[in-house]
Amino acid sequence: MSAERLVAALERRRATAQIVPAADAAGAAAERVAGWGSGRVLLADDPVLDGLGLPAALAAAGPQMLRWPEGRDLGWRDLLGLDGAAATCGVTVPALAVAERGTLVLAAGPGHGRAIDVVSMHHLAVLPASRIRETLAEALTEAYAAPGRAPSAISLVSGPSRTSDIEKISTLGAHGALAMHVIVVEDR
Amino acid sequence: MSGTRPVVYTDAVAPLRERTREALADDELHGNLATAGASWAAGRARMGREHPFAQMRERGRAIRRDNIRHLPELLARLEERVTAAGGTVVRVSDGEAACRYITDLAAARGARTVAKSKSMATEEIKLNEALEEAGLRAVETDLGEWILQLAGQHPSHIIAPAVHLNREQIRELFAAESGEEVPDDREALVAHARRRLREVFAAADIGVSGVNLAVAETGTLCVVENEGNARLVTALPRIHVAVMGMERVVEDWDQAAHLLQLLPMAAIGDDAATYVNLITGPRAPDEADGPEELHLVLLDGGRAALRGTDLEEALDCIRCGACLYSCPMWRSVGGQAYGSPYSGPIGAVITPLLEGMRGERSSELPFLSSLCGSCHDACPVGIPLHDLLVRVRGRVATPTHRRDRRLFALWSRAWSSPALYGASRVGARIGLRLFGRRGWIGRLPGPAGRWTEQRDLPSRWPPRE
Repeated sequence: MSAERLVAALERRRATAQIVPAADAAGAAAERVAGWGSGRVLLADDPVLDGLGLPAALAAAGPQMLRWPEGRDLGWRDLLGLDGAAATCGVTVPALAVAERGTLVLAAGPGHGRAIDVVSMHHLAVLPASRIRETLAEALTEAYAAPGRAPSAISLVSGPSRTSDIEKISTLGAHGALAMHVIVVEDR
Repeated sequence: MSGTRPVVYTDAVAPLRERTREALADDELHGNLATAGASWAAGRARMGREHPFAQMRERGRAIRRDNIRHLPELLARLEERVTAAGGTVVRVSDGEAACRYITDLAAARGARTVAKSKSMATEEIKLNEALEEAGLRAVETDLGEWILQLAGQHPSHIIAPAVHLNREQIRELFAAESGEEVPDDREALVAHARRRLREVFAAADIGVSGVNLAVAETGTLCVVENEGNARLVTALPRIHVAVMGMERVVEDWDQAAHLLQLLPMAAIGDDAATYVNLITGPRAPDEADGPEELHLVLLDGGRAALRGTDLEEALDCIRCGACLYSCPMWRSVGGQAYGSPYSGPIGAVITPLLEGMRGERSSELPFLSSLCGSCHDACPVGIPLHDLLVRVRGRVATPTHRRDRRLFALWSRAWSSPALYGASRVGARIGLRLFGRRGWIGRLPGPAGRWTEQRDLPSRWPPRE
């Protein structure tokens, strides 16, 4: 199964991941956000999240809820966590994913800010299982095949932010998310 | 190099011999290089076990050869597609023109702070110096590059720029920059840099990035990274300027996907980088983030003139840094000793080419190589670097090299005559006895002294243990 392989590959890349039926997705997301202790949640505006009842489940725990693009109005300093702003969990919905190497394909759009996952301290991705592809070539060819203008930005994300610039030892949370969790939602 | 004025690096302070001597005496540097080299080799070996690397390399080579053969068409298509997506493309003949375009743009937009993500092309054109001369604050945001900027040094490695500095040296630099107490702990150092550099992302008017690959088919720029700073640099500031060596273009997503996999395999021993940012024009009108303007600066800087020559394959390079780690010379002296942003075997080849074979480094660097060929083995696109090194050596002949040639000619003539050959043997025996101490010669006078500087010469055969 490609979903299992994606999970295994993500774990190799120091992300965490789980496969859940649609009914359990909101609960799994709320549990993860509580585990991180996020004081703020910044959600992509995507019907997948609403369909799963995710915004309501996350709000129940009491963090400040921000939806893209309105969340952008706070300004970058605040969203970047400067001046004592709360640690943010960015919630994204990938357009596609690549099973063989544990990669999410995040496409920018009106509801999908291109920086949501990297301005945040933690990154939670909610991925319908039917969007998993086998190879990078397959996913990229598909992502750019649609007629009309290509997405202005596509971010391939394979795990939490890392650097090896100090002593060649890999350390997480360099500039982007310190931790990344993927909830693969069964949808077929 | 018709039409282009090559960049001549003038910041090398000491001649190569002094730089290498300094590096060879630096034990700390050797320790750091050994750690970095071992970690690269382990990752690379793992990639060889997990992937059909040899076949992938063959395909990588075929793709790059094809790209360079069709470079003019690919560039024309790229320019057309980037423009159609709302970007501005400018072709520049040299580094000076590239810097002028960017500083003029900054002045026209009233910009003050420039956030940079790691880019060898901007090192090549010395953009930071130009920005500072124009009164702008330019900050490197890749952790390794930022550390080097604080230390006032040039990158020692294409991928891991600060491999030669240890944790305590880095802690001191951070403390001096911030005036804060900085704990001596790796994770705390990374968190400190994260916070300091977020101030820069929030303040920057312009983000400057390099380009690892550009896809002609869709006009997309690929920026590969692990930290997330390149995304912040290309997403937050109002203006994004991408500086790209003109050879880094591929045809379609099939080719791009292959090279995007090969690049991290060769560079860091992993089959994916953490982030690959694929940028097609500025933000769309209905988007709330992303730059309002995208400028693509296509740099020639001596590249176009290489097409069709026997040095053309130097253009295939995807800047992974594998040849550096594999090189016994680089592993001995590190990148700083090269005195060029491009070090190691590829640096020894392209520095002279981009300098138009002029300048001190052009005559020195091709000789900083043992021609062992390990660079060719390590190269993910199969560039015959050892052959290129020999060819570049041939082009940079200087008066010293011409004198060498006369000496060799004289030697050849002498040993072609039995009488002179016999006389030279007698002379050598006397000479060896004269300089030998207990069967060994530790020091020779004149130019021969360079040979004995690092080694002893036996004064009798077989040598005494």
